[in-house]
Parts: sequence; structure tokens; C-alpha cells
Amino acid sequence: MGTKALYKVATIMSVSLLQKWSIIIFASLLGLILFILPVIASSIYSFQKPGGKGYTFVSYTWLLHQDGFFASMGTSLKLAVLAGILNIFLMVPTMVYLNLKGQKFKPLVDFICILPLVIPVVSLAIGAQNAMPSFLQNSQYELVFFFVVIGLPFTYRTLDNSLHAIALKTLVEASRSLGASWIRTIIRVILPAIRGGITGALFLTFALSIGEYTITSLLHWETFPTWTVVASQQNILGAIALSVFSFVGAIALLSTIAVFAKKGVQQVEVDR
Amino acid sequence: MSKKDRVSSTLELRGVSRHFGPVKALDGLDLVVAPGELVALLGPSGCGKTTALRIVAGLEVATSGELLVNATRYNEVAANARDMGMVFQSYSLFPNLNVYENIEYGLRARKFDSIQRAKRVAQMLELVALESKAKSFPHQLSGGQQQRVALARALAIEPRVLLLDEPLSALDAQVRGQIREEIRRIQLELGITTLFVTHDQEEAMTIADRVGVMNHGKLEQIDKPITLYNSPATPFVALFVGLANRIPAEITGQGEAKVLNQKIKIFDSAEKFSDGAKVNLIIRPEALELVSESDNEATRGIVALKSFLGPMTKVGIAVEGAPLIHLNIASRDVRKLEIGDKIAFKISIDQVMAEHV
Repeated sequence: MGTKALYKVATIMSVSLLQKWSIIIFASLLGLILFILPVIASSIYSFQKPGGKGYTFVSYTWLLHQDGFFASMGTSLKLAVLAGILNIFLMVPTMVYLNLKGQKFKPLVDFICILPLVIPVVSLAIGAQNAMPSFLQNSQYELVFFFVVIGLPFTYRTLDNSLHAIALKTLVEASRSLGASWIRTIIRVILPAIRGGITGALFLTFALSIGEYTITSLLHWETFPTWTVVASQQNILGAIALSVFSFVGAIALLSTIAVFAKKGVQQVEVDR
Repeated sequence: MSKKDRVSSTLELRGVSRHFGPVKALDGLDLVVAPGELVALLGPSGCGKTTALRIVAGLEVATSGELLVNATRYNEVAANARDMGMVFQSYSLFPNLNVYENIEYGLRARKFDSIQRAKRVAQMLELVALESKAKSFPHQLSGGQQQRVALARALAIEPRVLLLDEPLSALDAQVRGQIREEIRRIQLELGITTLFVTHDQEEAMTIADRVGVMNHGKLEQIDKPITLYNSPATPFVALFVGLANRIPAEITGQGEAKVLNQKIKIFDSAEKFSDGAKVNLIIRPEALELVSESDNEATRGIVALKSFLGPMTKVGIAVEGAPLIHLNIASRDVRKLEIGDKIAFKISIDQVMAEHV
């Protein structure tokens, strides 16, 4: 390669590198302006004393002393965890079956799982509640089933992708030919192989459930999102403190789960 | 685990068919694999060889026919209760388990205690020379190493029959040769009855005691590799096993055909040819030899192709009124031959196979 050609390649590379950095800087600035600055501004404001003279934790202590703060948060966490677990129990065997033997049913199940995205939430909430047995209609645990339903479009895709990423059929056949039962095959081969997908599905259902407002409000149950709306109407600084708390809390909670999930996957590999 | 410790099994398929709607993937297959024998099923894609193997493994259900192991009917036995070790084309190692645990998997399923498991896994690792990789995960191994682990995993359960489904197809040429020799060494060492499926004739011919050539769901011929090559039962076998020229000829009567400038006898076969019938003669490249131009039976042509294959060179000769004819000639004899040279050759065998045009 001659000097001219090398110069040309170097020029092209430096131009593409410049373009790459320009995009990164632009995206960072945009993120800063649209996303981080409002959070920083809200955070600073939430710590200000009335009148703007000095800083205080009073808005946050007010928050903690409000009736229903811990109860609603506990309810949300409990329902979100149950919804995540129920979703996994329902969807993992379903997706394994669909990918192994029920290929012809996949378009139907795919369609059903997409429905929660297109059916208006009011119809979904009222219609589905009427279809539920009365003991569930009178219990906050009915929300678990709604949370499972709204999580379906996401868990379907996540699990389907992770099952596509492994050679499911041959892994199952290899396991069976080695003498393993179906249960052993699912527990020892399939679940560990799609652990990342299961974690993702669990994570998504949990995140959707813990932040769900509309259905809960329509059915007159109190979870953390509905409680925040009521509480924030009483104190403007408290409302901002609440939004900052919810934001930071949600990020912290989801990050913790993500870190634990990742550690879990790595631990499996190390242990083996 | 050595040959003397185990009892080999007889595998028998009696009229086994598998239909997918109107498609007959397998059409009345009869096959007996003797104890300790390695039989290769060879054929083009879609000939039914893998279907046959999967039926033996219990991963596919036969539409009709019987599968017997040591004279016991196995049709209704579930895949996980058949005691068949299977090695897949794509290795199929469990990605979340390391080498040791992959090999141990079948033993755990059979509820072997930990001491027995450790002993057996150690034997298997030694057998495939992968002791140092026991703690490695599949993604940390090369393709050849993965396939050796898959072989060890299949053998660890001391299967009645070992089933190999194109186990070398995903490997590069050099590794393929090594693993092929290793499979044969282990198979002979353990004396295990083995059914090997492949579309690669070289693979089948070098590894198997007998090779079964399949076409359209049927077994065309099953025999020792040398018999299969020298005495093919059908034109399909002749063309599929080894290289062969199809040279146009005309039946002249009394079991003879006129081909190029020669008259040559044709083998008796199920197909009957009337006098004057146009046929193709199936002639292997090594059945043609270079001769002097003065030879009365010589056919003249022009060298159109020359491919060096090491000790042999494949020479393609363009002859008027015939497709390109290939000869395999010792490389030392054709050193001076160039493309475009005039050349004379003739058929050097007494009898050939014919097929209808």
C-alpha cells in the first residue's frame, strides 16, 4: 500500500472517529439537558427552605411521616414481586412448549400477548375485573393478575429471544438421549440456558408493576404510585421531594436487582 | 470401561417407515447392525438417513416397522429410557455446565453415586484426552474439543448403541480427520455397536465396517466399503460412491455396448436394455488409461482440465460428442501434459455398469 493510500485510509478513519465522538458528545449534551438537569434542579429545589434561603431535609422528613407511605410502598413491592414470579411461572413453560412442539400456536399466542398494548386500559381493567371470581375482585391481589397481563408483551419477546438464542431442540434431545426426564431437562438444561431471559422478563414485569398507576386507580386500590398522587397534592415541596425520591428509589432498586441478577448468572458459571 | 467389561448389542430395523404427510422420509428400511460393528448410513440430503437415526434414538416415531435391540422391541420405549448415546452435528453441549458436568449429566440422570460418577468421568476424560479441560466451559473449547466432550458424554452412560449424527460436519478438514480416527479408535476399543450417519463418502468409507447407501428413504446397498466401490449394485451407488464418468453408449446386443471406440461388456442388472438402446456407461476415472495414439481402440481428445491432487492428477479430456471425461493418472506420468495437448485413452476394464439415458 502506497503512502497516498495510507494517507487516504488515515483520513477516512480520523473522519469516522471524529463523527463518532461528535455523536457521543451531542447525545451526552442532549441527555444532560433533557434528563439530568431537570432531576438536578428538582433535587436542589426539594432541599430548599421555603423562600429559598438555605437547605433542609424537611420535605423528605414530611414525606416519611405521611400516612400510607410505608404501607403503599410495601403493597407495591409485594404485588410487583408476585406478578414477576407468576409471570415467569406462566410464561416459561408456555414459551418452551411453543418453541419445541407448539410452533403452529405461536402466532396466536404472540397476538394474545400483544393485546394488552392495544386494548384501552379502561376496558382491560373493568372488563377483566368482571371476569374474575368475586373473592379476587375484593382483594388487592387481583392487581397481580393485571400486572401479569400488562407484562405479557415484554416477557413474551424477552423469553422468545432467549430461547431462539440457544439450540433448544438439540439441547433437549441431547438431555433426553442421556436419560434425563422432562423435569430434569427443564430445570438443569433449559432454565440455566435462558437465565438471562428469565431475569430480563422478571425485571420488566417488576418494573412495570411497581410503576403501574392507571389500572390501580381505576379499581380504587392504593399502591405507591396512587398514594404519591394523593400525597403530592398537599405540599408542593413535598411533591417535588416525592418525585425525586421515587426517581432515585426506582433507579436504585432496579440497579440493585440488575446487579444481583448479573452476579447470579456469573456465580452459576463460576460454581460450575 | 473396556471392551471386555461390556456386552455389545444388536440393532435391527425391520421395515421401518416414516411418513410426513405424503412425503416418505423413510420407506421400509431393513438394517441389522451386529454387536460391535460400525455401520455408516451414507446418502444425499433428504435421503432419510438422519430420520432413521432419530427413530433409533427415540426422537422420532416410526410410522410403521419395528426397531429391535437385542431382539427386544424398542418402538414404545421413551428416548430417555433407551440407553442410546447420541452425538449431534452441532455438539449440543450444555452451555451452563463445564466439561466435567456435561460428561457427568447422564450419570446423574441415572442416579449413579458421586464416587461412581467421578470414576466414570475420569475414565471418559482420559479416553478423549481432555483431562486438563475438565473445568472449562463449552465456549472455551475448540470445535474438535467440544465434539470430543460430546462423544465422552455419550459414552459415559455405557450406551447399548452409539449414534453419531454427522458428528464431523461442523469441523474443519484437519480436525475432522483427527476426530474421525479418534472415534474409530474408541469404538474399536470399547467394541460398541455404532450407527454413523453422514453425507461424506470419504468419512463413511474410512470409518465404517459396512456402509449403507440410502436414496429416497430406501437402502440402495449395504456392504463393505471396498465392495461398494468396486461392485456397486445400482447406478446411484456407483455415482454416489467415488467419482464416475457418465459416458454415452449404445447397446449392441449380447450384453455389450459400444462406447467411444470400444466395445465393452455391461453388468447384469435389474434394468434390461434392448439392442440399439442409448445408455450411459458409468466408468470410474481410474478405469481409463492413457495409451498410444496408434492403439486401434484409443479415443482421441484434448486436455481441457488438469487438477493436481498430490500423488494423482485429475485430467479432464474433451472428446467430440461426449461430456468432459475425467481420468485419474499418477502425477509423475502427466508432468509434461499441458492443457490443449492432444491425448489418446481407452477403457482398461472388462465390464461396466449401464443406466438408461
